[in-house]
Amino acid sequence: MAFDPSSLRHLFPILSLQANDHPLIYLDNAATTQKPLLVLDAIQHYYRNNNANVHRGAHFLSNRATNHFEQARETIARFINAPEQSHVIWSKGTTEAINIVAFGLEHLLEKGDEILITSLEHHANLVPWQQLAFRTGARLRVLPLTSNGEWEDEFSQYFSHRTRIFAATQVSNAIGVSTPLQMMLNYAKQQGAFTLVDGAQAVAHYSVDVQALDCDFYVFSGHKMYGPTGIGALYGKNHALEVLIPYQTGGEMVRKVSYQATEFNILPYRLEAGTPNIEGAIGLAAACDFLCNQDRSALLKWEQSLASHVYSRLHRETNIEIYSPEKNTTLVSLSVPNIHILDLNAYLDSQGIGVRAGSHCAQPLMAQLGVVGTLRASFACYNTMEEADRFCNVLLEAIDLLLDDE
Amino acid sequence: MTNSNQTLAIKEQLQACRSKEETFKTLVTLSKKLPRLSAEEKIEEYKVKGCESAVWLITEETNNIRHFKADSDAKLMRGVLVAVLSLVEGKTIAEIQAIELTNKLVELNLSSYLTSSRTNGVLAILKKIASN
Ligand SMILES: Cc1ncc(COP(=O)(O)O)c(C=O)c1O
Repeated sequence: MAFDPSSLRHLFPILSLQANDHPLIYLDNAATTQKPLLVLDAIQHYYRNNNANVHRGAHFLSNRATNHFEQARETIARFINAPEQSHVIWSKGTTEAINIVAFGLEHLLEKGDEILITSLEHHANLVPWQQLAFRTGARLRVLPLTSNGEWEDEFSQYFSHRTRIFAATQVSNAIGVSTPLQMMLNYAKQQGAFTLVDGAQAVAHYSVDVQALDCDFYVFSGHKMYGPTGIGALYGKNHALEVLIPYQTGGEMVRKVSYQATEFNILPYRLEAGTPNIEGAIGLAAACDFLCNQDRSALLKWEQSLASHVYSRLHRETNIEIYSPEKNTTLVSLSVPNIHILDLNAYLDSQGIGVRAGSHCAQPLMAQLGVVGTLRASFACYNTMEEADRFCNVLLEAIDLLLDDE
Repeated sequence: MTNSNQTLAIKEQLQACRSKEETFKTLVTLSKKLPRLSAEEKIEEYKVKGCESAVWLITEETNNIRHFKADSDAKLMRGVLVAVLSLVEGKTIAEIQAIELTNKLVELNLSSYLTSSRTNGVLAILKKIASN
């Protein structure tokens, strides 16, 4: 039986809002998803019943807070199939997690070493590596993936014995394509490179198994997978996390401090300076529970069917260019020659439809596609086929209104 | 139409809008009134920084009177420029600085163009128009 989004829409109260006198249609899920009641309630419950600082003073509430906080870590570990919960480091999100790795590995890089990324990266998985290259004299290289995400033999030449770090996204946020991840990781590992996977766009849709991927680091943000903002995670293999020099230092991450020296704490605390985002961790664990209680492959199929429905309706229009794939994606990324994407966006907004118009923090990719930006409609499990159709109808109306008659 | 009549007409059209959709359609109509700049005029020097759509603004001053030419690659922004320039064209810098431009745009139902989000450059345009 096909998945029915109405079975869980009621869990997302925000979806019943009116926007500009129309029922809200939220299609900007790749930027951030809405949060189910389960997540909202978990955060409320934490503050009402369990709030105290963690790992400090042994008192009733502090013990409760610490237990819930560490249980949340265990939930995240299970969610991505990490072998140990100490391999999960809390971060503000994907961006911070990548920076923790980029700064942490700096001491291992030498002039002439290579850092390899792909041409589909979000700025978060590009700028930290570029800046690391500037600081160390390493060379940033870019594997030129095409927008269909297929592996080409010539790509293997980008991996060399100087490749020290390979960082790639699992799914492109701008054009929705999945990268040939396993193939790339294999080549990178053959060269002995550290490997990092940006899972920001994957976790909401795909079941992730970091042990099967066999990458050194896996990073993601909570807010893109029905969890709160300001929380995310860095998973790492034990040896990979151990070599990282802590990016931030301070309280919590130390064992013994004198004016002369500091002995750092063990993993995971070593990489978590300061009071953590406790409510965020608890909210994110609730989001994992929410997802794990669904039939995840049915959700994914549904999201993909929405995207391919929009694709099939719009690709026939002569004046629409689509950059996302026809299948196996949960978003549609497009532009209309001679019409500005902000104008299309404004009309969709006037009809209550929220999408994203812009470069999607991937300016080099936009340059590769020959556009300044695209209009992106990205789907989540709560979106309906009616919403997908309404998006198409209103977009076509907008094109009619904006097409030049001058 | 004299300049002040024109300003009044633009004001009335925008104030009559009862929804975002009506404002959108009015801005599309207004955008057609904006004479486009030539390729030679669309240079970096005239570009207004902070706008997600490209916006160019040329200020000329004769006998203390300011004249403006502007363009954008986005249609709605051209409509907004028509509205904004109708408030300031042909005035002295002192007169322009005495106008509460942001309040005027709120009166014209254009407040959503004033949010100081990353994507919005209308405030940057107003600043440039009223700069010494
Ligand atoms: C592929 C990808 N990587 C990284 C990020 C950055 O995530 P955050 O802003 O949550 O740190 C995003 C978010 O837009 C993304 O889509």
